[in-house]
Amino acid sequence: MTTSLIVFAVCAALAIVSAIGVVASRNPVYSALFLLGNLLTMAVMFAALNAHFLAVAQIIVYAGAIMVLFLFVIMLLNVKTEERASPLLVVIGGLAAVSFGAALLKSYAAIAHVALPAGAVTGSNNGTVKALGLDLFTNYVFPFEVASLLIIAAIVGAVMLSQKLRPHGPDKTLAAQVVKPQEQGVK
Amino acid sequence: MIELVVLLIKLFLVFNVIMGLASICTWIERKGSALIQDRIGANRAGAEIPVPQFSAVGLPIWGFIAKPAVAVINLTLRLAFIPLKVLGVLGVINTLVCDAVKAITKEDFVPEGTNKIVHALAPFMAVFPVFLAFAVIPLAPDFTVFDYKIRPVVAEVDAGVLFFLAMGSIAVYGVVFAGWCGNNKFALLGGLRATAQMISYELAMGLSIVAAVVTYGTFDLYEIVEKQNPVWGVFTQPLTALILFIVGMAETKRGPFDLPESESELVAGYFTEYSGMKFLVFWLGEFAEIGLFALIISIMFFGGWHFPGLDSIFEKGTWMAALLGHAILMGKVIFFSVLQIVLRWTLPRFRFDQLMNLGWKILLPISMVNLVIYSTLKLSGF
Repeated sequence: MTTSLIVFAVCAALAIVSAIGVVASRNPVYSALFLLGNLLTMAVMFAALNAHFLAVAQIIVYAGAIMVLFLFVIMLLNVKTEERASPLLVVIGGLAAVSFGAALLKSYAAIAHVALPAGAVTGSNNGTVKALGLDLFTNYVFPFEVASLLIIAAIVGAVMLSQKLRPHGPDKTLAAQVVKPQEQGVK
Repeated sequence: MIELVVLLIKLFLVFNVIMGLASICTWIERKGSALIQDRIGANRAGAEIPVPQFSAVGLPIWGFIAKPAVAVINLTLRLAFIPLKVLGVLGVINTLVCDAVKAITKEDFVPEGTNKIVHALAPFMAVFPVFLAFAVIPLAPDFTVFDYKIRPVVAEVDAGVLFFLAMGSIAVYGVVFAGWCGNNKFALLGGLRATAQMISYELAMGLSIVAAVVTYGTFDLYEIVEKQNPVWGVFTQPLTALILFIVGMAETKRGPFDLPESESELVAGYFTEYSGMKFLVFWLGEFAEIGLFALIISIMFFGGWHFPGLDSIFEKGTWMAALLGHAILMGKVIFFSVLQIVLRWTLPRFRFDQLMNLGWKILLPISMVNLVIYSTLKLSGF
């Protein structure tokens, strides 16, 4: 029982439990918390596979920014607790889950005995920042630049969508931005 | 097996460092703020303890032995209580002992209508990233003991700076949960403001850290310190150091950026509904974060454990050199913690739109330009 096996077992168990918790909890804040736990255990599994940069990037981007946004929305909109689903839906859902799981296990069993292809990378030092950077900026430069274009489009779209169209244009003076009449204040 | 023992010892020592830094920063804040505001501050607890004095009244027979003996005992007791009284006058007992006892024994109320689990989880989520970020920070140079090389880092990850950024991102959760489960508008407003502030300043922090990393060429914090051996980082990239310092104060919600806990506006901001030990946990996390940012700035820009002239006193690689390096690093950390505390009590608070203006329209473009400048310099061979 090597330490990496123990770490993987613990993280896998936690990831499965938190994934089930995301779906099974009725309170949306609990679902978000379980998803956060899932992301953190995934990051640990990435780190155990020697992909350090991916682990940290997962935490920074997914767990640290996207989940905060989810939680913002849930908390601000005060999403209510759901009611428990009807038993018929539970039965149908259970059947679907069991059949999907069986298909997944069957497909895994089909590939479990196939050897890795010749160019596969295993072992250490391939997930470090240096290796990832070298690969990203030489072999995959074009997808990298296209992804940055996508991100710029998303940012510009977000800024445009959040502008309230005022008839006289955006508020220019500080007083107009800061001072609000009481009807627009927090109730 | 030896590695496990060494790891446990390292964990214990780093935990001591964190707790020591947090406690000392709390005390410096209380007494330092008193000094700055021209008042005395906490000086009662422990300073007015009545010293137990015996009297030789009921011992008539042995009077010629008893009276001098009792006088000597009284004098010894008074001398022994002097350190306690000195500490009491300095406010140490008040801050370290009385505050802790008060927080532990206070009633821990949970406001009606909120989620009890999230209410209990929020202090934990505010504090755990701060403690975890200490795992990648080197606290002393390498040293060799009995032919076994020890590097004083708990986790020798080669993406140390990135891990610190990740922990800064997770620290937002504690604030979000604390603000939301107060079930009142003041806490919610404080939580929202704090989250918006922290997320906005993470951008400038990331860009300035990337500029520093481009110059040093590595993400590993130990290597970054070793590269600053003759010349400290602050002399090669002063603007980056300044930006990181400002952003650090904004991330810890300290100093002029303390709108989330603005006491004159929002009662107590996002931790309004916390009392007792939970409040102390938040407070401890905030002061540990002050120590963390002081450590990061000392390590990345101010040379870590290098000090011109003191490097060659002990032979490199011995435990005495490691201890001296650690002492130098802690001196720099205390200097920056005191600087942050003094800045908090000197500058007035930013208004929220000024804060967002500073984060998005001033610091972000400056750090972008900074990154371009340092990338160009690095590519052209400096």
